[in-house]
Amino acid sequence: MARARARRWRLLLILAFLALTVAATAWVVHLDRVVTREFQGRHWSVPARVFAAALDLYVGAPVTGDRLEEELRRLHYRRGDPAAGPGVYQRRGGSFDLHARRVRFIDELREPMRVSISADGSAITGLRRADGTDLPVFRLDPPVIGSVFPIHGEDRLVLAPADVPPLLRSGIKLIEDRRFDEHHGVDAYGVLRALWANVRAGRVVQGGSTLTQQLVKNYFLSDEQSLARKATEAVMALRLEAHFSKQEILVAYLNEVYLGQDGARAIHGFGLGSEYYFAKPLAELDPDELALLIGLVKGPSYYDPRKHPDRASTRRNLVLQEFAAAHLIDSATAQHAAARPLGLRPPGGSYVPAYLDLVRRHLKRDYAEADLAAAGLAVYTSLDPRAQAAAEHALTVNLKRLDAASRVRGASLEGAVIVAEPNSGDVVAVVGGRDVGADNFNRALDARRPIGSLVKPAVYLTALETGRYHAATLIEDAPIELKLGNGSIWTPQNFEHKSYGQVPMARALAESMNLATVRLGLDIGLPRVADTLQRLGLETRPTLNPSLLLGTVEMTPLEVMQVYTSLANGGFRARLRAVHAVLDEHGRPLKSFKVQVEEAAPPSAVYQLDRMLTLVTTRGTGRDASARLPRGTVVAGKTGTSSDTRDSWFAGFTGSYVAVVWVGYDDNRATGLTGATGALPVWADTLARLKSASFEPVPPELVEDRWIGFGDGLETTPACSADAVVVAVPKDTVLPAKPGCNASPPGNSSPPGTVSDKIKAWLKNITH
Amino acid sequence: MAEEHHSLTRLAWLFIVAALLGGCSLLASQPAPPSSPVPAPPAPGSLPASVPPPSVPAPKPPQPSRENRLSPATRSLVAQARTQMSSGDLDGASSTLDRALRIEPNNPLLWIELGRLRLGESDAHQAEVCGRKALALASGDQGTQSQARRLLADALRAQRRNQEAQEVESQPFVH
Repeated sequence: MARARARRWRLLLILAFLALTVAATAWVVHLDRVVTREFQGRHWSVPARVFAAALDLYVGAPVTGDRLEEELRRLHYRRGDPAAGPGVYQRRGGSFDLHARRVRFIDELREPMRVSISADGSAITGLRRADGTDLPVFRLDPPVIGSVFPIHGEDRLVLAPADVPPLLRSGIKLIEDRRFDEHHGVDAYGVLRALWANVRAGRVVQGGSTLTQQLVKNYFLSDEQSLARKATEAVMALRLEAHFSKQEILVAYLNEVYLGQDGARAIHGFGLGSEYYFAKPLAELDPDELALLIGLVKGPSYYDPRKHPDRASTRRNLVLQEFAAAHLIDSATAQHAAARPLGLRPPGGSYVPAYLDLVRRHLKRDYAEADLAAAGLAVYTSLDPRAQAAAEHALTVNLKRLDAASRVRGASLEGAVIVAEPNSGDVVAVVGGRDVGADNFNRALDARRPIGSLVKPAVYLTALETGRYHAATLIEDAPIELKLGNGSIWTPQNFEHKSYGQVPMARALAESMNLATVRLGLDIGLPRVADTLQRLGLETRPTLNPSLLLGTVEMTPLEVMQVYTSLANGGFRARLRAVHAVLDEHGRPLKSFKVQVEEAAPPSAVYQLDRMLTLVTTRGTGRDASARLPRGTVVAGKTGTSSDTRDSWFAGFTGSYVAVVWVGYDDNRATGLTGATGALPVWADTLARLKSASFEPVPPELVEDRWIGFGDGLETTPACSADAVVVAVPKDTVLPAKPGCNASPPGNSSPPGTVSDKIKAWLKNITH
Repeated sequence: MAEEHHSLTRLAWLFIVAALLGGCSLLASQPAPPSSPVPAPPAPGSLPASVPPPSVPAPKPPQPSRENRLSPATRSLVAQARTQMSSGDLDGASSTLDRALRIEPNNPLLWIELGRLRLGESDAHQAEVCGRKALALASGDQGTQSQARRLLADALRAQRRNQEAQEVESQPFVH
């Protein structure tokens, strides 16, 4: 009996043991598979890298010597002897000797080359290959501006094994896992040592985790501290070591490790860490900088060098001491390095979340989120880092100033800026809010607000297109009452609550007269105005309410940009474009986005309108623009203020750029700012920093310049009227002349044509 | 609505007087207005516009000519784009012309080049728009205008709009 019972127990025990072994084996096999599959897959997963536009250099390009050097620094070129290898340049005054790196462009892979460039205080003056042969145009590397990383916010610049500096390789092992090269994933000796240290200290002072275990933890596991998790981690670490080489594991670790937080963006890996903290490639870090990064691994928020510089500095110097003790560097170097400041790059300026947001949305039409996050794509965009910096600076400085002057307490003004090149539709800068580095609400793309008087150019353009109106046509600015569809009465007002009577159209637009605009808009008809807005680029048809004429239509800054791009581009609507091309991880082109232009409005009508818009910035509501721009710069634009001053807008263009600025509060309260006091300074400062050229459209052949009185619209001369302004009107337009003035087309000495021509044209005009 | 209509006879009278006086008064030198964004006026001496019947081939330019040219930089990019095009690398050619347009966005010659490329890509509609844009930018430059008109006509023919193509070729200016 007893023996039989013992036998049964033994059998049961064996069975239980067997079952346990099977279960354990299945578990290990399962973990093994997870490890190999995931690690293998993610091992090579790289978020899509996004590049700004490459700067083209050519004789005459408006690039000074200092600007060139700034660009080279941005691209991490080092000063030194260019003969030493690619990535180095030498500067003597305005002469540069550059050894350009191997670089992938959209259309070619360029091998390293030596170039001589000279520049003076305003432009590039010479460009040759080092062998003296002619080089008409040379482009610099496209700067990396970030990556399209997944929703959970991990960003990284993935390093290849060859990118890892030797000091980082040995330094990280020294600090985090001394026996990395000996153990098989789990370090029993290390665990015991850590245990002993902890017991002696009476608290946790050391972790016994190997680099492999840390990697496994980051890759596969949660932060939970339990025995089961520790066991899983250990098994996985062992399996990882069984399948992959030490080098692969180390490089994966260096790419995976978390090094800090930038808003919603988690900084992962030493590649990005180096960019983020020092704005330098890893290969160029000095021992003190490497030591800082290695020291951060222990606690990226505790040792955050921006928030806690003292802690970070102490930690760095401790790491440097260890380096010296292990003879990774000599002690003189360590001492010298420990004496240096932290050397952090200034915060902001390099990361452009609002622009990346536009890129991401653009690409989402064609790519799955997962491909963008992991397929190693290279995305080439039209971002111009200089325009981006100018817009960011102008917005933050002006909002700070406006906040200080504001009587609204406890709220900060917000704003958005977009800058584009009107001919191609290339978006060169996007700022989504005053915290330019924050990846949150992107006002440039998502703040949908009433556009106020920004709508007026569409009304005046529609009027010009009818052929019944020109810049000197008198229209009536007088009170008006309108019965709306719902039976209510609408009585629009001018901003100053007075009316001006008969005014030339150019003045009504320049001074943004509401009553004149409503009367004009009603005369040509709301449907036509709505048509014009849609042709110019508004995608949804606005509601046909008379208040449309005063801009109750709500648009995002990006939508406004599309409309104004068509005005800046002579009536051609260039589809806004952030992304030029996408290349796969091997540099093969996957997709390209070409310039796409459509006819939006007759060029001669747009020309007449644009010339009226230059009066806005010289005589009208936008005249403060001139003071902020280089003397003599001609710009065209329009102010916009929504009801109760909730929104302050300015949209306009120079010879090179079109820019849209919105300023307001997120909670939609009144700002007390007009378009001229809120958005305009931001706009003007942005374009002033870009030193962009005057707006000088090519005059169409059927249009000519004439002098008129700004107040009365009568043809005149500057000698005859103090308020004479130049407007563009259809050739041979009959203008009533100011009595006693010998009017003539400004600056134009071509004969007026035969009498019969004039009369024919004039008859044509009055029969319209 | 608010347009002022003056008495017909008074205007006609003023007009004739102005036109007769114009010969001398308009030639009297007049400084360019400082606020004008238009570049310095072209040389005087050209003939006034007179629109001929459509059947007559393009007459003398209505304005004194300005000549559009490519800079050395854009010229070399155009040459590169043509090489890329002839080797079948249309995307490469496109991004090369992008670069050129970034340098000289208002040069009609580049828009003509881009239009030719679009024709090569069988995108006749975009070619047409490039042609129209080039034509607008080439205002005052007869040589460039006729190149733009040829492109426009080709683009229209590619869309089987032969009638319009013919009109474009026979008109002195369009728009």
